[in-house]
Amino acid sequence: MRRLPVYLLLDTSGSMFGEPIEAVKNGMQVLVSTLRQDPYALETAYLSIITFDSKAQQLTPLTELSAFQQPDLRANGTTALGEALALVAKKADQEVTKTTMEKKGDWKPLVFIMTDGEPTDDLNKGLAEFNKRKWGMVVACAAGAGANTDTLKKITECVVSLDTADSSTIKAFFKWVSASVSAGSMKVEETGSEATTLSELPPPPPEVNIVL
Amino acid sequence: MNRSQRHLSRLANRRGPIHDLERIFDAVTEEAALNPAEREAFCRWALSSLLDNFKTHLMDRRIEIEKQIKAMGINVPNGTVNKDYHASFLLPEGLVSDVRVDGVEDLGLSLTTDGYDEYYLSGRPVKAGDFTLTLSFQTLAGAPRSSLKIPVAFNPDPRSLWRNIPTDPNIPYFKEDSATDYIRVEAGKDEAPRKDMVAASQRGRSHAREGKPRDDHFALDHCYESGWYIMAVADGAGSAKYSRKGSEVACNAAVAHCKSMLTDNPEFEKAIADYAADKEDAGKRTELTRMVIDIIYKGAVKAHEAVKKVAAANEEAKLRDFATTLMFAIAKKYDFGWFIASFWVGDGAICLFDMNSHTVKLLGTPDEGEFSGQTRFLTMPEIFHDKDVVSKRLKMTIVPDFTALFLMTDGVSDPMFETEKNLNDYDKWLHLWNKLNTGFPGDNIPGVDLSDDNEQSKNQLLRWLDFWSAGNHDDRTIAILY
Repeated sequence: MRRLPVYLLLDTSGSMFGEPIEAVKNGMQVLVSTLRQDPYALETAYLSIITFDSKAQQLTPLTELSAFQQPDLRANGTTALGEALALVAKKADQEVTKTTMEKKGDWKPLVFIMTDGEPTDDLNKGLAEFNKRKWGMVVACAAGAGANTDTLKKITECVVSLDTADSSTIKAFFKWVSASVSAGSMKVEETGSEATTLSELPPPPPEVNIVL
Repeated sequence: MNRSQRHLSRLANRRGPIHDLERIFDAVTEEAALNPAEREAFCRWALSSLLDNFKTHLMDRRIEIEKQIKAMGINVPNGTVNKDYHASFLLPEGLVSDVRVDGVEDLGLSLTTDGYDEYYLSGRPVKAGDFTLTLSFQTLAGAPRSSLKIPVAFNPDPRSLWRNIPTDPNIPYFKEDSATDYIRVEAGKDEAPRKDMVAASQRGRSHAREGKPRDDHFALDHCYESGWYIMAVADGAGSAKYSRKGSEVACNAAVAHCKSMLTDNPEFEKAIADYAADKEDAGKRTELTRMVIDIIYKGAVKAHEAVKKVAAANEEAKLRDFATTLMFAIAKKYDFGWFIASFWVGDGAICLFDMNSHTVKLLGTPDEGEFSGQTRFLTMPEIFHDKDVVSKRLKMTIVPDFTALFLMTDGVSDPMFETEKNLNDYDKWLHLWNKLNTGFPGDNIPGVDLSDDNEQSKNQLLRWLDFWSAGNHDDRTIAILY
């Protein structure tokens, strides 16, 4: 079975404390329970949670949706986004199955990054590692005014922004992520190839702005 | 009892802490010159202070036990509706009693224990969704019950998420959601059984859940006069809106052309016999090849043209809207063995499988390309401009006998073989053959009885195509000459 790996990279720095982090937790809950109702996603999507604050860590290794249990998120510290990029590259090496002559490997991973601030570590170092891997689609989300979309543009072409990091906006973002994973898992089965551009994803809700 | 005995008895009775307390209490209250009312008040005050202390102690102890249990990080795995669920967890023995999980019966589960420290949550979940289980237990007698929240998710049965919406019969080029056929060829004068053909085609779950039509097609025919078997299978491209018609027209046109060429063709019969008698003779081979091209390659060209004609008749559509793959084969038994010729464009598989010689012979190579999903279609004109089209797509062979000639779309070959390399693996084909016989008991799908003249096998084969394979829900079509 060819899996569709989905990596969520979530900012858990101190600035996310309070409403934003609670919104992220709720959003994740909505994301998973929605995807479990989608037969394509339930069969093919695998989810991993990587958080970054003063350091990056993988809270949930790549797990099938049916077995996924939400990790506990706490907000404190700085914003080690560079380290998170290096970590997701390393984890993808370990977790994503490569295609061989006998076995078709996994689909290229989808990566969703959400941050509300500027990285405080060496972004370029992590980005160099990240860029050595093949990703299906990488979407970076600047949540609120503190995040710099120019910085995120260095990571990926697909950058979206949220005007505020309040609970209804963050929830709307997660709903869109959920719809995107649904569309992605359906696309791989119907057409045999991954989505690679924003135009192949469902149109984002009004709360989620595409950064051109 | 004499006086000294009574005294001794009184002493014995007064011994012990309560009497000490009583004595000390008397002494203290007398010294403080408390009147009886004050004595009463003091007594109540002293005891209630102690009681408060005691309660604090109980609470501390309960919190301590609760912390200890929380630190154990009790969690249970997620389950699936209607599938056996079994989870176990530990609670410290002797520290807790009367353990319950509230409302667990409503979820279809029950809680049991081994009587020591292990607890089991088991049953068959009845409801899908995210739930928070409340595990409650008694720590110390007199303390309030303690509780702990445990999240768990019960997934819907994936099969229940695939709806089956019939295709609207009013759409252009409507096609039934499934089809079967069986061609029974009875024994001749020699009474030896003759091979039959069976085929089935089933709309995929991904189409069924959206009420979209089946894009696959097949056609079987047999020339009773000349003994030729003809079979064709086609897979309409998922992205082409009228591919269901493309696959249908392609199969029918290829089979019709072959039939017209095979019903009475003594020259071809002679060419086959001549070639079989001396396979080293290049001239005879060339002569036979020329005729095979006339039948097989022309059949493919006719199929291409037939689709083109249908497309041209539709003003709002282009040829690529009818994109389809196509594979077809002709086969006939002779004294020297079986002659088989075929054409193949696209993915899927066409294969001669023989259990006697433990061999498989793939009749061509699937057009999968470096990236899957980039198959070739009959409807692409460049297919026929390729100078290698004959050597690449046409096959002819003579074999002593075979177990089965398979034609199938990728809806069957992908879940069964996964990669192109596996298509050349005899064991994988043997596995498929065995699966046809045994069915899929876990999914309640019976096997296909491929015995001679069993017309029922077409319905069994259709049922068999419902086999479950995660991530593989394409239309499925298989045709077997056996």
